[in-house]
Amino acid sequence: MRLPETQVALLEAASATETKTVAQLAEELGEDATAVTRAAFELEDTGLLAVDEHVAEDVHLTDEGETYREDGLPELRLYEAAIDAGADDDPVPMGELIGAAGLEGPEVDIALSNFARKGLGRIDSGEVIVDTTEGPDVDPDADPETEALEAIAAGNAGYTDPGILDRLETRGLIERTETTVRSVTLTDEGVTAMMEGVEVAETVSAVTPELLTSGEWEEVEFTEYNVEADAETVHGGKEHILRQTANRVKNVLVGMGFQEMEGPHADAEFWINDCLFMPQDHPARTHWDQFGLDVPPMEGLPEDLLEAVESAHRDGVGEDGEGYHSPWTTDVARQVDLRGHTTSLSMRYLSGEQVGNLEPPQRYFSVEKVYRNDTLDPTHLLEFFQIEGWVMAEDLSVRDLMGTFTEFYEQFGITDIEFKPHYNPYTEPSFELFGKHPETGELIEIGNSGIFREEVLSPLGVDCDVMAWGLALERLLMLMYGFEDIRDVHGTLCDLELLRNVEVVH
Amino acid sequence: MPVVDVDPEELRQLTGHDEKSGEELKDDLFALGLEYEGETEDGEFQLEFAPDRLDRLSVEGVARSLRYQYGDDRGVYVPKTNDAEWTIEVDESVPEERPYVTGAVVRGVDLDADELDSLIQLQEKLHATMGRKRAKGAIGVHDLAMLKGHSGDGAGEKSISYRGVEPDGDTFVPLDDDEERTPAEVLREHDTGEQYAPLVEGLERYPAIYDDIGLFSFPPVINGKRTEVEEGSRDLFIEMTGTDQWTIDKMCAIVCYALDARGGRIEEVTVEYPDRELTRPDLSTTSKTVSHERIETTLGIDIAGEDVVDLLERAGLDADTSDEGDSDDDAVELEDVPTQRLESRSEPDVTEPATADPSGELVYEVEIPPYRVDVLHPMDIVDDVGRAYGFNDLEPKYPDVSTVGGRHDTSRLEDAARDALVGLGFEDLLNFHMTNEAELFERMSLSPDDEALGARDPATITEPYSEDYTVVRTWALPSLLMVLENNTHRAYPQDLSEIGLVAGVDLEEPTNVAEGRSVAGVVARTDASYEDAKARLQAIARAFDAELETPPTEHPSFISGRTAEVVLDGESVGVIGEVHPAVLVEHDLEVPVAGFEFDLDGLR
Repeated sequence: MRLPETQVALLEAASATETKTVAQLAEELGEDATAVTRAAFELEDTGLLAVDEHVAEDVHLTDEGETYREDGLPELRLYEAAIDAGADDDPVPMGELIGAAGLEGPEVDIALSNFARKGLGRIDSGEVIVDTTEGPDVDPDADPETEALEAIAAGNAGYTDPGILDRLETRGLIERTETTVRSVTLTDEGVTAMMEGVEVAETVSAVTPELLTSGEWEEVEFTEYNVEADAETVHGGKEHILRQTANRVKNVLVGMGFQEMEGPHADAEFWINDCLFMPQDHPARTHWDQFGLDVPPMEGLPEDLLEAVESAHRDGVGEDGEGYHSPWTTDVARQVDLRGHTTSLSMRYLSGEQVGNLEPPQRYFSVEKVYRNDTLDPTHLLEFFQIEGWVMAEDLSVRDLMGTFTEFYEQFGITDIEFKPHYNPYTEPSFELFGKHPETGELIEIGNSGIFREEVLSPLGVDCDVMAWGLALERLLMLMYGFEDIRDVHGTLCDLELLRNVEVVH
Repeated sequence: MPVVDVDPEELRQLTGHDEKSGEELKDDLFALGLEYEGETEDGEFQLEFAPDRLDRLSVEGVARSLRYQYGDDRGVYVPKTNDAEWTIEVDESVPEERPYVTGAVVRGVDLDADELDSLIQLQEKLHATMGRKRAKGAIGVHDLAMLKGHSGDGAGEKSISYRGVEPDGDTFVPLDDDEERTPAEVLREHDTGEQYAPLVEGLERYPAIYDDIGLFSFPPVINGKRTEVEEGSRDLFIEMTGTDQWTIDKMCAIVCYALDARGGRIEEVTVEYPDRELTRPDLSTTSKTVSHERIETTLGIDIAGEDVVDLLERAGLDADTSDEGDSDDDAVELEDVPTQRLESRSEPDVTEPATADPSGELVYEVEIPPYRVDVLHPMDIVDDVGRAYGFNDLEPKYPDVSTVGGRHDTSRLEDAARDALVGLGFEDLLNFHMTNEAELFERMSLSPDDEALGARDPATITEPYSEDYTVVRTWALPSLLMVLENNTHRAYPQDLSEIGLVAGVDLEEPTNVAEGRSVAGVVARTDASYEDAKARLQAIARAFDAELETPPTEHPSFISGRTAEVVLDGESVGVIGEVHPAVLVEHDLEVPVAGFEFDLDGLR
């Protein structure tokens, strides 16, 4: 039989007739007690050793106890001083005795209270009287507490009266702890195994190149680890949670046949607002809502498109179309802003400006940043990600729009979508989308959608239907993962700990 | 979005539905698109709605819509009007910045407290929406009994005049005041005057309205106290001034409909411009031609013509149909219907002949009441049909068109680079693109004029939200330094990276702003050195099969002698180095930081 070194040593040291404690054996073998304990249990598992456990009390002197063992208990020192001063004949003033006994600080009170308790004498009007004739029990030379202190110091606490130990513990002179004492004996099987011979199997701590190339690995046993212990904390790199969410959305949309759009963050109001049939005096087109940039106006707008859009604003589109009764100037159209929505990209794509003219059917999307002059709070940021998508085809109906969005939101566990008729300057019909929160069941707004108006599409040269929708990615993230303050994740105030520990999107 | 306060008790009265509980009313209102937001102290519903149906800015308008929804009313209703007795004479002195005026007289309203509140609310809400905070249109309502009109030479027997007045050219007692003031004094000394002063600032003459007694209104700022409308006012004179005739005429129509619902009798007013004469209020209807096919394809349903007519009537519209060929004259007549009704006033004509497309396709000639300011195109009528039908009754279906999906090149490249960074142990970050110059430059020991990465003219926001966000970032490393600064209490090492937008003013670009995507990374730990950053940069270059060179360079944010250019495939695209202690101390950092930043295009 081949066994690890510690187990072999333990078997050899153990006896079938004499019970030995693990502590004894560890000392005998010069091994760590934990290693010996582990070996003992492993041998018990294989039936070679019997392990017996019992709880033992371990008693130690405290620092105070150790001091009194050396100097004597304060009450006894008081007694001796009293005898020396003749208090067994006449009362002696206490002050004198305290000095003579060398009592200091709290020792004085300790001496006085125990002096009386042990019946060593009386204290009356500040004077100490020792009556040596009183009571045979009082034998200062054989004080059980003093004896107990000595016994404990010598490691023989086991023979001390439990009542005395309790008293000493109350006085704070000793500490008692319980320990499990394990003792082992060789079983019959163990004896047999020993008779047959037990050899040491070599154990190694690490797999080394040498071990592998030499073939030695076949001969060795590996030191066991505590596989349950926690290892050191490692922070692997992780994609930002909002990027993960964005990628999840992108995957869903690509799977549904959508192509991704890209385009400028800083763009002419023409692409951001005018193409969308937003009147130039629309309340959302003031600096309260959008960020204008201090750069020269954008000159390179397609002239024919500029004219067509202006005409749609002024006179409407179609035989009995009507325009807005609002001012319209190219100066406003050329002003460069940070885009307030990625619909500016949709306009660039639909117009043919970005990738050339598009023929139906088409599906396009983007998940990109937009900028709004909103109030910063736990659910609103000055910049956030907008999911934008549109479908271009002949004769699209409201039912197609509903079907597309139902499909999209189902991918995120949001079902039972309700379509609330809504108004947007750029779509008609328009719908706000409401869905049930996957956890709370609450009805919440999850997007805005509609079919682009002819006043939008006609100037762009699109003569089929286009339906579109948008929503904030952050809103989807908060819905899916229950974040309460979006500022914890997005921006320079982010908490690294939160980003490191947040559950990944899967 | 506008919010209107509506007393449910008044709503029951005006709709004639006393039996409706609060909850039922809320459901009915939601179906109209009016969302219950809460209640005022007096128990009025606060209803939020999209700013298309501005005729619903008062309890009277909301009640009208509900009556259509309940089927109590059908089709177009136009209030009757009496002939004009009053004239508004428009003087040549009227400031050219605010040339238009309109008006109406409403008699027999006997305003009670609720009606007065409702009128004031409607006026305020119209100011806030169509009136563009009074800039485009401002409403003045006066007690007719307090006006004294002389017999003019116009069509009416009595007249008032709209003219211009020198800033200190006259005096009157404004509302909420007891003293005679000149218009200029009102702008300086009166609360309402101060609030609206920007609307007339810089004008040579201010808009003013006079009767025989004198100045009684200073639009768009404030009315005079003399003609103030109070509880019990019996007859009203309504005037509106603005920058667009159509807008104020529509606002006037909405107010007239509300007062008509309260039993007021509308009386016309003649508006006499120097070159033309209008009869107001303009309560004429308009019409749009809507094809049956468009309704069916947009809603995705088959529906009978008579059902469409029924739905239109339930939406407060009228429709005539024809699926037979009609005379071409009618079609021509249709085209002649003016879209802009500044001068021509067509009588409320409800018997437009049935019309058909030359192809014989079924079309509807739909008549639209004057309070509907939202109908610009036949599709707006289709939407009304859908709402009356009930959009939520439609069965969703997935569109039967096939397309191929895919990612954009730049987005794929960005993702691949991000994967590489994350694989090297970087925590991927997402910071704001907006920041301020102190973060970009001073705190990085950089000047915008330096010849160094990040040093460039930033795109500046003209009216920033706060001092923290005034420009678009020119480089990304300052954002990472800020994150390090805010996380000094978190465990090190902190290896952070970001790929994101950087921009700067560049007049060569079409938008005059050059945009790029930067790849930035920092390694912050007790023993971080140039080599740590370089090792990671090398790994990224290898992953993209790009040849990396790092010739020495200088950058104020990095330690001299430990800074290099990032050259990928022969092109200088960024910088790498150990961050300068001055920058570290500025960001309260007590560990060394090595980092790099380069243009994502370098990896293409």
